[in-house]
Amino acid sequence: MIEVANLTKRFGRTIAVDDLSFTIPRGRITGFLGPNGAGKTTTLRILLGLALPTSGRAAIAERRYRELESPLETVGAVLEASNYHPARSGRNQLRVLATAAGIPTARVNEVLNEVELTAAATRRVGGYSLGMRQRLSVAAALLGRPELLILDEPANGLDPEGIRWLRNFLRKFADDGGTVFVSSHVLAEVAQIADEVVIIHRGKLVVHEEVAQLTARATGATRVRSPRAGELLERLRAIGIEGEAVAEGQLAVHAPPDRIGDLAAESGIALHELVAETGTLEEAFLELTGDSAP
Amino acid sequence: MKVVRAELLKAFTTRLLLWYGLGLLAVLVLVISVHVGSDDATSLSAPDTQRMIVEYAGLAAVLAVLLGAVLVTAEYAHGTINQSFLAVPTRERLLGAKLAAAVLAAIGLAAFGCAVTLVLAELWYEGRGIPLELGGGTLTPFLGALAASALAAAIGVGVGAILRRQTLAVVLILVWLLIGEAIINVVGDDASFAPGHAVAAVIVAHRDGNAARLGLWPAVITCLTYAALLVAVGALLVSRSDVESSVS
Repeated sequence: MIEVANLTKRFGRTIAVDDLSFTIPRGRITGFLGPNGAGKTTTLRILLGLALPTSGRAAIAERRYRELESPLETVGAVLEASNYHPARSGRNQLRVLATAAGIPTARVNEVLNEVELTAAATRRVGGYSLGMRQRLSVAAALLGRPELLILDEPANGLDPEGIRWLRNFLRKFADDGGTVFVSSHVLAEVAQIADEVVIIHRGKLVVHEEVAQLTARATGATRVRSPRAGELLERLRAIGIEGEAVAEGQLAVHAPPDRIGDLAAESGIALHELVAETGTLEEAFLELTGDSAP
Repeated sequence: MKVVRAELLKAFTTRLLLWYGLGLLAVLVLVISVHVGSDDATSLSAPDTQRMIVEYAGLAAVLAVLLGAVLVTAEYAHGTINQSFLAVPTRERLLGAKLAAAVLAAIGLAAFGCAVTLVLAELWYEGRGIPLELGGGTLTPFLGALAASALAAAIGVGVGAILRRQTLAVVLILVWLLIGEAIINVVGDDASFAPGHAVAAVIVAHRDGNAARLGLWPAVITCLTYAALLVAVGALLVSRSDVESSVS
C-alpha cells in the first residue's frame, strides 16, 4: 500500500531522511515511531506530495501522490489540527474540500456524524477545542471513503477521552479492511493499536517488525521474591548478574528466570516468586536507538 | 471547474469579501462626497468631470490586487494550503483555479464599486441640482474598472504565489502603489509602463494615450504581460518548493 524506497531529504546541510526504505501492507495498522526530529513528519509530507524528496521514491498504491487520480478517495490524511481558517465553519471547511475533490456534499454531513461533530458543524473552527479540530481533521480524511489513513501525531494534545475515541476509531477502520499508517512519539498509544511498527532514528530505519516481536526484544527484568533476597542478590552479583532490591524481600534481576532459578537451587535458597516481566515498547525503543525516550 | 468552485467557496465562506466590499464602499463614499461636495457647479457639469467621477469605481482595482494576493497567501498563513494540495495535488492546477476565482471575485467587487459609484454620483448631483449626463463616453470607465480589477487581481495572485507570506505581500503591494509608482514617475522615462500606471490607464479607458498614460489596448497588454510573468514565476516557485505548515 505504501512504498518508501531509498528516500532522502536534505534541508541545506541537515539530512532529515536518510536513505529510508520500507513497505506498508494493506489492512493493518502500522505505527511510525521515532523521537522528535527523527524525520517522521518529513517522510509523511513527502508521501503526501507536500514536500519534495531530494532523492528516492515514496509511493501510495504504486503511484506518487501527485499521480493519484482521486487522491482523497485513495488516502485520507490527518496532519496538524491547526490547519483551518478560524473564521470558516467546520461544515464549510469540509464543503470546500468536497467541492475541490468532486465529492457529493451530502457526504459532508455523513462524516460529521461519524466523528460526532454534527452539533458543532456550523460553528467557526476558531472556537473549536483541540479535540474537536482533531475530529474535524479525521472527518476531512474520511470524506472520500479512502482505503488508507495517514495520521501524523494524531494524539497530540488530546485528552484521555479523545485518545480513547481515536484509538477505537482507528481500530474499527482497520477492522473494516482499512490500512492505517500513524506516526507518534507516544509509544504506549501505538503499542495498544498497532499491528506492526516502523522505527526511525535520525532519518534512518532502525527496525520494521511486528509489535509483539519488538516487545519480546526488550530485556525485561525478572521479578524475584525470596525470604533470603539479600543473600541471593550477593550471589548473583558475584557471578556478574545485575539486579537491585525493589522492596522488602523482592528483587528485580536482569537475567532470565531459568538462570536465576538454577542458581537459587544450587545455593539452597527458597524462591516464593520468579516472574519474567514483559518488556515494554519504550524499552525496546531505547535498546534499539540507544537514545533518550522519545 | 470544480476546483474553481471550491476556490470561490473559500472566498465566500469567510468574511474576506464582506470586508473588501465595506472597505470599497467607505472609500467611494469619502472620495465622491469630497469631490462632488466641494467642486463648483460649472466644473461638475463638464463631461470630463463627470467621467472622472465615474472613474472612481476603478478604486476597486486597488482592492482587487490585494484580494488576489490574499486569496493565495491566506492559505499559507492559516496552513489550509496543506488540505488544498491534498485535494488538488497538481499545484499549477490549484494556482490556476485561484487565478480564475480571484478574477471572478474582483469583477464582482468592481461591479459592486460601479453600482455604488453610480448611486452616490446620482444622489450628490441631484442634491446639488446639477444634471448628470450618463452616456456611452461617461460610462466607459465602468468597463475599464471591471477590466482593470480583473487584471489587478491576476497580478495580485502572481505576487501572492511568489511571496506566499501574507503580511509581506500586502505591505509590499501597498508600498509599491503608494511610494514605488511615485518614485518611478519622478525618475523613470517610461512610468506609463509601470504596473500601477498601466492599471490606471485601463480604468480611464482612453483609446489613445499620451506621454504620461498608455492608451487602452497597450495598457491592457502591459497588464496582461505583468500578470502572465508574475503568475508563471509564482507557479514555478510553488510547484518546486515544499509546503510549509503555516507562514504569516
